[in-house]
Amino acid sequence: MFAYIGPGAGFAFAGSLLVLVAAFALALGTILLWPISFAWKTIKVGNPFKNASARRVVVIGCDGMDPGMTARLLQQGKLPNLRKLMDKGAFRPLDTSNPSMSPVAWSTFATGVDPSRHGIFDFITRDPCTCAPMLSSTDIGQAKRVVNIGKYIVPLEKPKIRLLQKSQHFWKLLGEKHIFSIIQRVPITFPPVPFRGLLLSGMCVPDLRGSQGTFSFFSTRNDDGVPAFTGGEQTILRPKGNTIRSRIVGPDNGMVKGGGRMTLPFTLTIADDKKSVRLQVDGADPIDLFPQVYSPWITLSFSAGLGVEVKGIARFYVVSIEPHVNLYMTPIHIDPENPAMPISHPEVYAVYLAKKLGPYATLGLAEDTWALNERVIDEKAFFAQAMDICDEREGMLWDALEHVREGLVTTVFDTTDRVSHMFYRYLDPTHPANRDKPTEGELRDAIERVYIHMDGVIGKVMAKLGDDPRSVLMVISDHGFTNFRRGVNLNTWLKQEGYLHLKDDAELSGDWFEKVDWSRTRAFSLGLTGMFINRKGRERSGIVAEGEEYRALVREIKGKLEALEDPETGARAIRRVEIAMAAFDGPYRIDAPDLLIGYEGGYRNSWECATGSVTRTVFCDNTKSWSGDHCVDPTIVPGILFSSRPLVTEHPKLVDIPFTIMRLFGQAPPKYMQGGMILAEGAQDAPVKGFFDLRRLEQSGCAPGALAVLDEVSHGVA
Amino acid sequence: MDSLLHLCGVVFDVVLAPLGHDRPEFDMLAWPVIAGVVALLVYKRVSNQKGIARAKNRIQVHLLEVVLYRDDLFAVLVATAKALGQNFLYLAYNIVPMLVMFAPITLVLVQLVAHYAYRPLEPGEPVLVQVELADSARSRAREIQLELPDGVTLDAPPVRTTDGRAAYRVVATEGDHVLRFTLGGEVQDKALAVGGENRKVPVLRGHGLDAVLYPGERALPSDSAFQTIKVSWEERGLGPFPSGEAGILVWFFVFSLAAGFLLKDRFGVTL
Repeated sequence: MFAYIGPGAGFAFAGSLLVLVAAFALALGTILLWPISFAWKTIKVGNPFKNASARRVVVIGCDGMDPGMTARLLQQGKLPNLRKLMDKGAFRPLDTSNPSMSPVAWSTFATGVDPSRHGIFDFITRDPCTCAPMLSSTDIGQAKRVVNIGKYIVPLEKPKIRLLQKSQHFWKLLGEKHIFSIIQRVPITFPPVPFRGLLLSGMCVPDLRGSQGTFSFFSTRNDDGVPAFTGGEQTILRPKGNTIRSRIVGPDNGMVKGGGRMTLPFTLTIADDKKSVRLQVDGADPIDLFPQVYSPWITLSFSAGLGVEVKGIARFYVVSIEPHVNLYMTPIHIDPENPAMPISHPEVYAVYLAKKLGPYATLGLAEDTWALNERVIDEKAFFAQAMDICDEREGMLWDALEHVREGLVTTVFDTTDRVSHMFYRYLDPTHPANRDKPTEGELRDAIERVYIHMDGVIGKVMAKLGDDPRSVLMVISDHGFTNFRRGVNLNTWLKQEGYLHLKDDAELSGDWFEKVDWSRTRAFSLGLTGMFINRKGRERSGIVAEGEEYRALVREIKGKLEALEDPETGARAIRRVEIAMAAFDGPYRIDAPDLLIGYEGGYRNSWECATGSVTRTVFCDNTKSWSGDHCVDPTIVPGILFSSRPLVTEHPKLVDIPFTIMRLFGQAPPKYMQGGMILAEGAQDAPVKGFFDLRRLEQSGCAPGALAVLDEVSHGVA
Repeated sequence: MDSLLHLCGVVFDVVLAPLGHDRPEFDMLAWPVIAGVVALLVYKRVSNQKGIARAKNRIQVHLLEVVLYRDDLFAVLVATAKALGQNFLYLAYNIVPMLVMFAPITLVLVQLVAHYAYRPLEPGEPVLVQVELADSARSRAREIQLELPDGVTLDAPPVRTTDGRAAYRVVATEGDHVLRFTLGGEVQDKALAVGGENRKVPVLRGHGLDAVLYPGERALPSDSAFQTIKVSWEERGLGPFPSGEAGILVWFFVFSLAAGFLLKDRFGVTL
């Protein structure tokens, strides 16, 4: 009789039975295995917390949070939770890595060693064979074992994705001692390395197209002949009445020989009142978009053939409907619910977070700074996007805190960094970036708003941790911030000084050393702080011999660079140049840029220099929205450290943090770790509490706006 | 009710067995798919799709929690309990569509059973015909009279029990015969199909739910002294398909389910 209920019951029955079986099997398996696992753990490591002075350590990373700005807001009473944390423990500037940029600094945080030991010196480095740029952290290869079926190439294995960072993450060491960790969005953790814990990869996770973030801009305005945006792709829309049909360009189709890029059709229908457009992406539900409002994440399914679909997610933003339809689409993020590449460990962790919290940004540099730089979106749109991503991250943090009663939780928030980069110009009324942009407006205090928002997050974390004496909370940043008024093209300087030559005596060169004559070039600059010598035996076309020739050359260039003056201001542009072979002693210093350029505040490698171009002038104004930076001398841009426990040193360093965490858990840090214990383990050894002497920051030489801030602060906080 | 069932039977007699009763492939393949699709459409229409999606999502979240936090026994137990809780919620969401689909699916299934589960008797093959009396006539089993048409003979003396049952073992020559049972002034017939091609063979005559589940003959009146009259047909083979009443039910259940799951995305239904 019951069988007659048919498929209706069948659907429910099959689904529920599956759940029941799965739940019981999982629970039973876990419960049965738990005593064995517990016994194994006890035999292997005993009680992992036996010598611990903390059972739970929570590290909140606020990328780019600046001690000067923090001090100012503390003084103004705008960061009450950080103030509380400081009063309980301490607040100090945190010495950053050299170079002072996120991939380097967070690698130091993750491994407890300097760049010459973890091998990350910049976002990009050069391929010594071709001098072409390559990601310094990740090598994404192709599947080698494939089967050819007609026009299709069917991979029999996953593509090889390799983390190029060396050394090992300290949470892996904790895991070996059965101390559980949840690590969320720490930069340079893609691809994730297996360990006993959960990890969601951060900076350097590519978008679905394999780039570090390519936005799309669709417009009915016909700008044929106008160069495409940097970092984005423009598509001209051709309306027919109120309907517009176009295609979203997706990733390369590696499954079809000569397949090119996969595309996904979509239709835009403009409402009669011109107040909204209806977006219908193939395979997704239609959605009404209103001007200046982000869509939710929309799943984009690209068909590769043979039933294989590659899924990504993106958000849409209608910039305008009249007179022209202008539609911005974020880079296509890897869909966390169906990740095309491993973005978490274990792989289901990303899926779990997506199912629990909804879709979220997975791209390493998730906040689309290039879209704002190119003014495809305005500051309001950028800020909204950044804050949405911040909220997503917050949800992940709460989930982690809910699950970790013993162990380590580390969550990195990038919003502080991205907003500081893009809104720094408001701190400096004379900033060149202000020339063509408004200097007043509701977002002039965007940086402050983000700091205040993060203070609220810290407050919630403190409330969740309560007064548990076995919990330690640290709020850290990888570096601070300073002004970026003037760009310096070191390749142009090298050419002027006769160290770099172009083919056919050309005056200018395009990106990636397009016209560089390697047979005569002795030095070149790539990335944000690095200068390479064209060394024999290292670079394929190397011409500088090892030994005295090399040493003399780096000394010569260092001397000249440290004397380099900005002709417009007469100021020195570079505070210090480090010679890598002298500054570092780790095994990977050979791969480092030979010279690390420590700019003065206000200067940085120009955009063109970073991509290997040669321009007419060495110095130029930075007029982009990206108006603040930190790729300068590291002493100018220390990070921050707030700790719920007092410190034992006035000068904590980023490299101390992993060492300290291991010690807090009662584990002996490995000998190769370069840091030290900086937190007090007992009341008697805690001389460093509360606030610090602000003169330390005054000596750092920040941007004019920030200096004014410091004047204000130094008379306030004590 | 009887007329409605009769009408339904007439309709199915027309639409079923388009290839003849010896070729069950079409009905065995098409009807479960049709049922699966109808079920999907009904499911989409009457179920709380958002609620179901939410419950399924939560179930997946908690199962993943069990996997991710397997070293933490407390977390595992909590997650398991939550998964089971959500499972009950999921089942609850299924009650309405299940009730809506019950009637039409049942009608299709009983017709398939009537047409394909059993075969007519071989000429000379003995078969048991059982009569069960209604509660009001339980003590009158000895009064039941069976009038045998030409070509049908009793193979053994009838057996009657004191709890209102009677059984007759009969053999028959080829043809569609009618057995006539009399009790007091009430006369009821039962069809007996012998020989010839496969065709619809009505298993049981009854009333109420029995009349719904065993179509093919007019229902017994609700005030009849007879509860049921049943012929114990032999099950027939259906080639590659599972045979008999249970076989058809299981096949229909599994195949319609598979069709539903395969087509759910095309119809945009969350199951």
